[in-house]
Amino acid sequence: MLTFVIRRLLLAIPTLLLISLVIFLLVDLAPGSPMSEIPRTVPPEVRERMMQAMGANEPVVVRYLLWLRQFFLVEPAYVIDSLMGTNLAGGAQRVLSWQSRMPVFDIIAQRLPQTLTVIGSAYLVGVLIALPIGIYSAYRQYSWFDQLGTFVTMVGSSVPTFFTGVLLIIVFSVNLGWFPSIYDTTLEVTDWASFKMQIMQMALPVTMLALHNATEISRYMRSSMLENLGQDYVRTARAKGMSERVVVLKHVLRNSLIPVVTVIALGIPTIFGGAIIAEQVFKVNGLGTALIGAINASDLPTVQTLTFIFAVLIVFFNLVADILYGILDPRIRYD
Amino acid sequence: MNFRTALLGTTAAATAFIGLAPAAHAQRAADGNVKILYFQAVSVMNPYMSSGTKDVHGSSLVIEPLAGFDEKGGLVPRLVTEIPSVENGGISKDLTTITWKLTPGLKWSDGTPVTADDAVFTYEYCTNADMGCSQAARFQGIKTVEATDPQTIKITFTTPKPNPFSAFVGAASPVLQRAQFKDCVGAAAQTCTEQNTKPVGTGPFTVTDFKVNDVVQLAANANYRDPAKPAFATVTLKGGGDARASARAVMETGEFDYAWNTQINPEFQAQLAAGGKGELISAFSNNVERIELNLTDPSPDLPEGERSQIKNPHPILSDVRVRRALSMAMDRQLLVDVGYGAAGKPTCNVIPAPEIYASPNTNCHVQDIEGAKALLEEAGWTDSNGDGIRDKDGKKLSLLFQTSVNAVRQDFQALVKGWWTQIGVETELKAIEPSVFFGGDPGTPDTYQRFYAEAQLDTLDYDGTDPEAYLGQYVCANVPGPGNGWRGTNINRLCDPAYEKLLADLSKTADLNERAKIIISMNDLLTKDGYVSIPLVDRARLSAKSKTLGGVVLNAWDSELWNASDWYRIK
Amino acid sequence: MRDATGSAEPPLVRVRDLKMFFPVHTGVLRRHTGDVKAVDGVSFDIMEGETLGLVGESGCGKSTVGRALLRLCEITGGSVTIGGVDVATLSPAELRKARPLMQMVFQDPQASLNPRMTVAAIIGEPLDEHTTLSRDEKLARIYELMDAVGLNRRFASHYPHEFSGGQRQRIGIARALALNPKFIVCDEPIAALDVSIQAQVVNLLEDLQDRLGLTYLFISHDLSMVRHIADRVAVMYLGQIAELSPREALYAEPLHPYAKALLSAVPEPDPDREATRKRIILKGDVPSPANPPKGCNFCTRCPEAQERCHSTAPRLSEVAPGRFVACHRVTESAGATGATMANEHNQMGENE
Ligand SMILES: Nc1ncnc2c1ncn2[C@@H]1O[C@H](COP(=O)(O)OP(=O)(O)OP(=O)(O)O)[C@@H](O)[C@H]1O
Ligand SMILES: [Mg+2]
Repeated sequence: MLTFVIRRLLLAIPTLLLISLVIFLLVDLAPGSPMSEIPRTVPPEVRERMMQAMGANEPVVVRYLLWLRQFFLVEPAYVIDSLMGTNLAGGAQRVLSWQSRMPVFDIIAQRLPQTLTVIGSAYLVGVLIALPIGIYSAYRQYSWFDQLGTFVTMVGSSVPTFFTGVLLIIVFSVNLGWFPSIYDTTLEVTDWASFKMQIMQMALPVTMLALHNATEISRYMRSSMLENLGQDYVRTARAKGMSERVVVLKHVLRNSLIPVVTVIALGIPTIFGGAIIAEQVFKVNGLGTALIGAINASDLPTVQTLTFIFAVLIVFFNLVADILYGILDPRIRYD
Repeated sequence: MNFRTALLGTTAAATAFIGLAPAAHAQRAADGNVKILYFQAVSVMNPYMSSGTKDVHGSSLVIEPLAGFDEKGGLVPRLVTEIPSVENGGISKDLTTITWKLTPGLKWSDGTPVTADDAVFTYEYCTNADMGCSQAARFQGIKTVEATDPQTIKITFTTPKPNPFSAFVGAASPVLQRAQFKDCVGAAAQTCTEQNTKPVGTGPFTVTDFKVNDVVQLAANANYRDPAKPAFATVTLKGGGDARASARAVMETGEFDYAWNTQINPEFQAQLAAGGKGELISAFSNNVERIELNLTDPSPDLPEGERSQIKNPHPILSDVRVRRALSMAMDRQLLVDVGYGAAGKPTCNVIPAPEIYASPNTNCHVQDIEGAKALLEEAGWTDSNGDGIRDKDGKKLSLLFQTSVNAVRQDFQALVKGWWTQIGVETELKAIEPSVFFGGDPGTPDTYQRFYAEAQLDTLDYDGTDPEAYLGQYVCANVPGPGNGWRGTNINRLCDPAYEKLLADLSKTADLNERAKIIISMNDLLTKDGYVSIPLVDRARLSAKSKTLGGVVLNAWDSELWNASDWYRIK
Repeated sequence: MRDATGSAEPPLVRVRDLKMFFPVHTGVLRRHTGDVKAVDGVSFDIMEGETLGLVGESGCGKSTVGRALLRLCEITGGSVTIGGVDVATLSPAELRKARPLMQMVFQDPQASLNPRMTVAAIIGEPLDEHTTLSRDEKLARIYELMDAVGLNRRFASHYPHEFSGGQRQRIGIARALALNPKFIVCDEPIAALDVSIQAQVVNLLEDLQDRLGLTYLFISHDLSMVRHIADRVAVMYLGQIAELSPREALYAEPLHPYAKALLSAVPEPDPDREATRKRIILKGDVPSPANPPKGCNFCTRCPEAQERCHSTAPRLSEVAPGRFVACHRVTESAGATGATMANEHNQMGENE
């Protein structure tokens, strides 16, 4: 297993480097300029100067190599410096956003908390409601519960989140006034009251995303359960005289979870990518909006860094999914 | 009559008004928190780093220029005792120097005194070649900025400046503190994250927490010059979402007190007003939605580099009668009703304000389809084959009409196409992503500068109240082309010696009434006489404020948060 | 019924008029529009210690009979009594308690073993459920069972996928034996195995039967193997029993036309008889169990079909001692001596 992991990690390095180059070229080739958000009253010479100061008009190779250096050498150096009090970085320039001139990693650090709390808990809640629904729907296939579940998931996956989001706002914020429609990123949970506030402001975005996630995962769970319920070993378990609970929860569920756990693990990187629409609608301003904002502003260093981290996470969680598969399914062995 | 008094005649009244409003709330930081929503979030609190509107407005809560504009376009002193003029000796007779006197006793938010040296530093900071200062244009034509004494700033120009109110005037050109920014000169400016996000200022608030592109938290500046202001103890300046959602947050859910730029369609405006929690406020300045016409031939049949160039006059649009007919076909009031509602009004001018510069021309307000048809007939464009499209010498009267992707603009395109079709002009529509259209990438054929079309819908406002620089764009030397990397500003490719003569006169004229006359003539050459541009709608700033927020005066000439020190909670 | 004429000893397994229909739902609203009559009125007895072979072509309902017997599916009608317990009407809790009595060895040894459980867990799980043995005792029992089926004890903590097909089937058998059942349904236990291993497994089953006094329902479509292991053989066609006879009698002289056709395909061990063997090739396809033909369900393919075969269904009746056939022609010529199974059932019911 260990050699497998090491081999996969080593293989990932050239893959990721290639990905980083491809992303860089794609972002660079995309039409649009970092100056597009600047008012048109700003004269061309001034624009030229601004581009120059940002390093935006260097040749693409130079910029790519600079980014590689900053990402792989300078940024880790800063991390080590801040942990150990050393001075490895020596004031070298970090990866700076063109939009705000802030180090991109500082932006990420600012935004990760709300992304993890909102999008992460939405994922968790989604999974937690999806599994029982999927299990019960499969166990009682074609029952009214299953039919309702099929209908809801069909609606859930075909109605876009921006629609459900705005609908939730209109019903629960505008009409009923129960929950805020705008997420307050400055809220710090210090006591019971602020914790309640936090729950309140998470309610709508989490509901929206959890429903969306749940529809997908519950479908996986259902079909995986159905597949296993029809297997002979289930009949064996029944023949052994095991109770229905043991048959379903021990035999069937444990086998059905194998592909579902993989799907869940593969979905985790999307938490870090943030849910662009949810973040926009509820103004959570997490990593998703950072990315879309940077794309709109042609903020190449930010787009590049965020997408690359995203790519790393995808590669990593693919590995995690494979390892999980190996652990859960004794038929799979990596040597 | 002198330049200052006429243009700024309203100043006294404005200051008096501002002075009155908060009288009943004469206690600093008594009104708690005010929540402001900018759907484009603030990226940086230093307008020299970014000239994005949101950044300029956000930073105006903290750092201030010497003087600003009021809601009528008049100048108001901020850090100075009075607005310099030739009369009070602040502007030299030969128009080459301007001298500002700082208000005595002025302090930075850190308690240290504001001195003329800080302004000198700001000038050096922004004009440093390695800095990439986004407001560098404001300091153009300046020879020196000196601190003749700690309270006096003297700016000397290389040539006489009839309008010297560019540097240190308006929210985009504030004074920075030398002590804080001294290590941020040149290339180092880029990495001064702390300074760029938490500048020391003279404004009513100071930054306490800055989350980039998300939220800025501010607190009342303990050293603000007016001890009774600001009324609010803290400000939350949040970003994110879109115009619709931010209007809703103020007017329906009441979660926010103020929302910037709530450009929403008239139908939704009415719906939100019924919410009862807030109101939409609007203010007009010089923002005109117009159709620019291309006087040169953009035909793809021409070799690359010769498209839309002076040497190839447009085969159809070179005839002013055709251009005029295109304008006559417009129903401007309908455009306003469809696209802007309270946030727009019909206009026939590219310079609609301030009042003295506005041409009294209103003849375009009524649509005249028949007149347009007659004019086209007269110009020789007839529908010889009965297909509904006019032609002449075997050439069809067919135009490509482009603009950026934007719901209102696409509505306008459709309406205009309808009218032009009525008068026998075939119209092809094209919509381009804004980041491409306005991106100015010289390698892309779809930028507004390239103008590979006959007509394009866009808007262009200009800084401050004086249109000289703006009118200066329409000169032959400014035509975008391969020679200048497609970076000229003369989008219409106007090459008119009469126009350039007027421009030269304007640059030598200081008297306000004379200037106004010239400006109006130039405006008319672009519009009602020359039909180079077809002005459609004078666009207002449209924002939303809570009914519990008092003291708001929407200002379209400066930062919308220009008088945040006067805002208070209505109890 | 091996000696149905005499012995007063009640059969271990008694099946009467067993029906197992699978509902067919069609359309958008999934309305119940018909049934797959997988088993349609099957009756037979199995005496203690006996092996009843159940043969028939694929899809005729053999597995379904096996499952219905053990109530691994909810039967549509009829009764099943095993060891005096009416399995068909037990409540789920009672049924669980009755499980140790009856077990099944499945057709596909790979699919019937939970891939995420070790051999020890698979064999030991029923012990957890039905006994109060201590951990060590359980382990001892697991080893004992592994020994009994010829599996090396070292493999106790291995997973099913690490075994060969034959070994897997041994695990399945060990598992079935764990609770000391009296009756085991062997559903084509060797169909998925290599020919070389088939004999081993069959020998193992026979061996276990001798040692433990087991009773088997041995389902197979391999007629030679059935001939080898079974005492009596039931031939199934389209959800019904066509003929039920002692092994020797059936193989020597099949009575039902379908049994004749089926057996004509079996190579004879005796070279003389093999030389004269004539294959009877049946024409046409097996009708769908969802829509069986009117009358005798074999009439569409029967080479000897008469008019009445198309109108009335023959009943399974005893035509010679111990030989039951469902064919008008055979019952006619035999003079309809015996009672039908159903009648017999009624009589027995009255006697009780
Ligand atoms: N769960 C079920 N739902 C619907 N139909 C079923 C189901 N199980 C079996 N059937 C049908 O019942 C009939 C008999 O199936 P069964 O598995 O008993 O056949 P078999 O004789 O065991 O065949 P094989 O030799 O291939 O195992 C078939 O037509 C099958 O399609
Ligand atoms: Mg079968």
